[in-house]
Amino acid sequence: MSVSVDTGGKGGKKPLNAELNLVPYIDLLTCMVAFLLITAVWTQLARLQAQQKGQGQAGEETPPELQVKIVVLVNQEGFNLVVGQDQIPIPKKGTDYDFEKLTAELKKAKEAHPDKNDVQVASEDTIKFDTLVRAMDTALEQRFPDISLIDSGAAGI
Amino acid sequence: MAIEAPKPHLYHSISLEAAKSKLGGGGRKKLDAPLNLVAYIDMMTVLVIFLLMTFSASGEILFVQKNITLPDAHNWSELERAPVIGVTKDVVTMDGRQVATGEELMKDSATGDMKITELHDELVTAKNNYKLLHPQEDFKGVCVIQADKNVEFKMLRKVMFSAATAGYQNVNFAVRPKARGGATPAAE
Repeated sequence: MSVSVDTGGKGGKKPLNAELNLVPYIDLLTCMVAFLLITAVWTQLARLQAQQKGQGQAGEETPPELQVKIVVLVNQEGFNLVVGQDQIPIPKKGTDYDFEKLTAELKKAKEAHPDKNDVQVASEDTIKFDTLVRAMDTALEQRFPDISLIDSGAAGI
Repeated sequence: MAIEAPKPHLYHSISLEAAKSKLGGGGRKKLDAPLNLVAYIDMMTVLVIFLLMTFSASGEILFVQKNITLPDAHNWSELERAPVIGVTKDVVTMDGRQVATGEELMKDSATGDMKITELHDELVTAKNNYKLLHPQEDFKGVCVIQADKNVEFKMLRKVMFSAATAGYQNVNFAVRPKARGGATPAAE
């Protein structure tokens, strides 16, 4: 099994064909294809990290009144963003949650408190998981890397 | 007319030289048939490059479960090995074993207890096994919740509470990764 490389020589008497032995190369390729096909991961999945402050064990050491608390409350009417003492209701747009306004308000909150990294996402029982993930994703997008997912009752609002 | 030495022939009119050239040369001519392998090698090379690009050193951590449609997220992190809790509307599984049904979780318990006993026990066993197998390492308390996007928070709350009471404070939610939105992913 080889491939010949014609280097001319038609005019001359001696043919200058050089033969490349491709057997080891094909062997290597076949082995690699077999190995990679066996170890291939076809489903690419990822994760969103969340913590569970306020459930089970004690969370922050600093008393909550000394810290500005940012809470995204998710309920049937929409969002309610709580930044310290301020409450910003973000009602639904028709049947959908208004993630654009939530993004804008979280951006403002981040600008007002640039050192703040944690956000609590507090949910009611009937909220779909998809909505919660999108809310957490929005908070991560606005550079709040420490997300806690808690029950709306545990948020203390 | 000059006299020539006789040559091999089949019949009077067909010389054997002509037959030899038609039938392959009788041992003198090379019988190697050239095989064009260029296309085959091209295909194999492209296949190897594609497979190398999709190669994941960590292997398959999560398997796609039946009846679970994962939510999409833009600000994701890479998965890490941890106990996997699957949550669908009908059933809750821990590493593939059923630990509770959806009906049980949607019911309000009379005592207000949110703990799923079987899930809690399985998680505690997994934690103890980890500590036995990795005595030098700290237990990070990480578990992965692979929940369907239409599951209500009421079910998740009980699952998360059971995980928290078993010592798993860091919950990772399995998501389908989308193109990153330019923000920093969750801190490790």
